[in-house]
Parts: sequence; structure tokens; C-alpha cells
Amino acid sequence: MQTDPAVPQRRKAHAALAPAVFVTGKGGVGKTTVAAGLALAAAQADDGAVLVEFGDGEAGKRALGHKPRNLSHVAIRPQQAVLSAAAPLFGSATLAKLALGNFAMRPLIQAAPAIRELAVLELARQVVAKHPGRRVVIDMPATGHSIAWLKVAQQGRELTGTGPIHDLCDRLLRELLQPGQASIVVVTLPERLVLNETLSLCRALENEIGLDVDRLVVNRVPTMPPAAALIDARRLAERDDAIGAAAGKLSDLLTVRASVWSQVVDSLQQGVGPGANGLTLLPQAPADPTASTVAEWLRHNGAA
Amino acid sequence: MIGPEVIVCAGGGGVGKTTASAALALALARSGKRALIVSIDPARRLADAMGVTLDGRARSVTLDTPGGKLYGLMPDPRRSMRTFVEILFEQEPQALARLLDNRIYQVLEDAVPGIHELVAMTLTARAIAEHCIDVVVIDTAPSRFAVDFVGYPDRLAKLLGGRAVGWLAQLAQRGQGRHDDSGAPKVTRIERLLAWVLGPVVGDAAALFAEMALVLDSFVALNQQTSQLLLGPATKYLIVAAPTAAAQADAHYLIAQLATLQISTTAILLNSAVSPSRDFVDLLDKATETTAPMRDVLRSLDYEWQSRAQAVATIADGFSGSHPELPQLRLPFVEQAEPREIIETLARVLATELCRFVAD
Repeated sequence: MQTDPAVPQRRKAHAALAPAVFVTGKGGVGKTTVAAGLALAAAQADDGAVLVEFGDGEAGKRALGHKPRNLSHVAIRPQQAVLSAAAPLFGSATLAKLALGNFAMRPLIQAAPAIRELAVLELARQVVAKHPGRRVVIDMPATGHSIAWLKVAQQGRELTGTGPIHDLCDRLLRELLQPGQASIVVVTLPERLVLNETLSLCRALENEIGLDVDRLVVNRVPTMPPAAALIDARRLAERDDAIGAAAGKLSDLLTVRASVWSQVVDSLQQGVGPGANGLTLLPQAPADPTASTVAEWLRHNGAA
Repeated sequence: MIGPEVIVCAGGGGVGKTTASAALALALARSGKRALIVSIDPARRLADAMGVTLDGRARSVTLDTPGGKLYGLMPDPRRSMRTFVEILFEQEPQALARLLDNRIYQVLEDAVPGIHELVAMTLTARAIAEHCIDVVVIDTAPSRFAVDFVGYPDRLAKLLGGRAVGWLAQLAQRGQGRHDDSGAPKVTRIERLLAWVLGPVVGDAAALFAEMALVLDSFVALNQQTSQLLLGPATKYLIVAAPTAAAQADAHYLIAQLATLQISTTAILLNSAVSPSRDFVDLLDKATETTAPMRDVLRSLDYEWQSRAQAVATIADGFSGSHPELPQLRLPFVEQAEPREIIETLARVLATELCRFVAD
């Protein structure tokens, strides 16, 4: 049986990550744990890191476990984000609250999600500006529209042409959404369909946003079952007794795992190619890995 | 007319919600129902698993056994906004053309979360009527915010139906300096401030709102249809979870979210919760013929299954503690390369439990 074709570049050095790291991917791919792992690895390596999470902050807290040294964890609630991001536009938080909290603006903001997305980006920019020299890892909200999140500043700038929203979008594009300022880490799973979707996302990010995907993290990659065990189990399964039947069950299970494994290898080879830039494979584990386990894996892969 | 039964499956990402929903729909179809599975999850996993191409129309799924009918519906999220306005402006082709030219609309067309769900529900309502569906299984987006869309039509309706739109349109005119000063109400400082901040886009926004106001009636009708589907008396909510800490937290969050919408959860589906019988492991462990490489594999299998059993016990205890009234249903952990095989296996388990979800 062939060995893992992706193994050789596992230890390949990856391009360095920028000060701001956007971690994106579909729901359920382990995005939060990878983001926490990246932040933790940076915190352990140098002057400190910030993990930015959207929501109540519980997911990041769970992944991090106890609060690590050198790492601040910022949770941003989307509703708050709009008010905080708008405060400088209106001159003060009170005026922003007055202007946006009225009977017409409140429902507009609730129904027009582009506003929330812009606010969230602006807050991310503020966090980066507030922590010079520190790695800021931004765990993006799980959505099918991660392109839309990053494109909103571009669209906002084009749409407005002038005025305070234009200036806000322009600053976002100049100070945050620039190669060298921001890195994109895409987390995905080793299933053909998910992988295909991810690859078209990567292309879109590069073409439409102008940001390269610096890391493609394929999470939960199964290990190949040992070939010798399968051969032995198959041989023993030929016996016509209870032990033979039990060995048959083991061989069936290992056969399924071997076929899942080869499908994964196929998808990776077809989709990403063996020489892909920034490809990082993380193993499948029987229990949820913690951020420190993931940080260790990422370091081992040269991807931290 | 009595509407169909509706089962909404919600859960965090990665719990196998799509597969479990498809299995439930398959089991219902095999029991003789005319079932429809709707996937809001933008992934094409379900389509692939069911072996059909899915788009904005409900497609028939081939069943190997006699019984009811199974249809699959998975609208493309990238086309949702367009589909949405095409439905709304069916009777107003000129307004539709103007809208498609509007710059704000063009920005929104890319992706408006919430709209996709609304469109999916509208297409669901159409499919129900077209195919005389009697039970619908809705696979929601894999996220904590999956049930947000239940309240979204209402939020949009408040925006479009209330005074807000008129006020915003006025603001837009002021921002463009087109208002007539004589007799106009006094402009407040806040309004001036808003007009300044929103200034450059306010014209397009006003035009957009004016077009939307034209189709308010169709919008209200659409909204009612969706509300009936999601909030009707025959609608049940299942929470799908898997034995991971993240899935457990997401499940608790979703149950609480549903409660704030006055919806009570019907049951919890604990997916990937039952490992296969370990008899063969014990037998091979005792057998002298078992080789060293086999023993290594047996040890790691044992470790895997013990870890899973522990995780399942933790999550099950957590739910029993906080929601003792909620029945928990454990689904097997299926190791199969083919998604269709996994769905078939889960459907066989669910077949004996259907009375929990639907009337006979």
C-alpha cells in the first residue's frame, strides 16, 4: 500500500503569517480550535497574541482551556459591534446609539447584514491597531459567505465614493485587508466535496479580495490502518469458526477505513496537488483536541 | 387545508445533521409518507449523498423499496437573492428591471444571510403544494445562528411594513437636497447626522426601498407562508448533537434560542453515539492466533470506543441534567465510505422511532 503522498511536505516551511490572521471555513470543520491553536502557538513563541472571536466567547474559552499567558481573548458580539464601530463616525457612542437606535434605523440594521459585517471588520482593525507587534487571530463567523465578509469593505468603498463610510472602508482596505497586513487561513475537511468547495473559495479570495490564502489546513485527516493488520485479519477470517467470523469483522472495518483513507488521499491529490503552498494536515483524534494540542501540531508542521 | 407535518433539524456544525436529516426523511418515505427533505446548508453534501442533482426545484429521489415518495430540495445560496426578488416582483417586471440596476441591490445580490433561508422556505411551500407533500424535514444551516432565520421574515417585515421605509426615503431626499423646505418637518440634528454618514448611498437606498414598497403585499404573503411552516402547530424541532464539547454547547445554545422564540424542542438526536458491538474485539483479544499488528489495531479500537463512550455519557448526562423532559435518541457511529450507506443505516434505526416525530 502507498504511503501518504502528502506527508513529505508536512514539514515544509510555510510563509510567515501577517500580524492579522483571518481563520475562515464552514461550520463544523474545527475552525475555532485551529484559530485558538494558532493564537496559542504565537503566544508561546513571542510577545503575545490576541484571539478575536465573534459571539459570547464561550467557544474560544472552551478550546483554550485555562487562560494562557501572553494571550488575550476578545469576544465581540455582533450587535455591540455596530454601535462600537459607528461611534467614531457619529462623534460619540451616545450619538451613535441615538442615531442608530431610532425606530427606522434599528430594523434597518437588523435586516441589512452588510452593516454588521462591516462593523465586525472595523472592530477587528481596531484590535490589530491597539496591539502592535502582537499576532491577532480572528476566528471568523461560520458562514457560507466568507467571501462576502471580506468583500464588504471593497463594495462599501465603491458604493459610497465619498463620506465617512467610504473613509472607513478605505481605511480597512489600506490598513487591514492588505497582503503583509493580513493572512488568510482556510480550514477544511478531507472530503472531496468539502475540499472542492474550499478550493473555489480560495480562488475567489485570491481573485476578488486580492489576499492569498497562506494556509490551507485540512483537519481530521484519518491515519491509514496498518497494512499488516489487514492482511493478517483477512487470512484469519478464512477460518470457519467464531474466531474466523470475528477476524472477518475486523477485516471489514479495516477495509472501510482503508477505502476512506484512499479517498482522502485522492481528493487531496486531485484538489490540492502534492506541491501545494501552505498545505497543512492535522490528524483525526478520537476526542476533541485542545488548543495546545493543535498548537503543537501546527508547530510540528511549520505552520504556526 | 391541513398543512404537512414539518420537522426542523438544527445543530452545530460537524454533527452529521445533514446525514441524520436525510435518513429521517428516507425512513418517513419508506413508512409510506410523501416526504420532502430541504437542505439550507450551502454544502452539496446532501445532494451527493442522495445521488441526485438538486436545485431550486424539488427532485424525486429514487427509493429502492416500495412505499411513499421522497423529494429533495436544495436551493443554491448564490442565486437566492435573485430568486427572492424574482418571486417578489413577479407582477412588476419594470420595477424588477430597475431594482436589478440598483447599486445597493447589486451589492446585496452576492450574499444576504437570512434571505437564503426565506427563499428556501418559499420554494418549500411551492414544492409542498406541487407534490402533495405530507411531511417536510428541514436541515438548517450548521451554526448556532441556524434558528435566527425563524425570526428573520418578521424583522424584514417590520422594516418594510412600518413607518421606517417612508422615513428612510425622506432622509434620502434630504441627503440629496431634493426636499422642499416649505412645510417640511424640522430636520433634527440626529437626522442631519445620519444623512451625512449615509449621504452617498442614501439615494440608492431610497430607490431600493421605494421598489420594495411596491411589492409589500407579496412580501407579507411570503412572510406568512414561511411563518406558518416554521411556527405552525404541526412543526417540531429536533436538535442534532454529536459527542463533542462543541456540539454539546451548540445544542444547549440552540435549545435556549428556540425557547426565546416560544418553541419547545421535541427531542435530541445524539449522532455517532453508539459504537459497534465489541464482541469481536474481546474474542480476538483472547485468541492465540491473533497477530501482533492485529493486537495493535485492537488496542487503538478499544481506546477509540472508550473515548467515544465516555464523551457520549458526558453529553447525555449534561442534557438529562438541564433538560430532563427531552427524550434523547442515540444513533450509531457508522463507518462507511459511501454517504448513501450511512444514510441507509441511520434510516433503519430511525424507522422504529418515527412515532416520536410524526402522527400515523
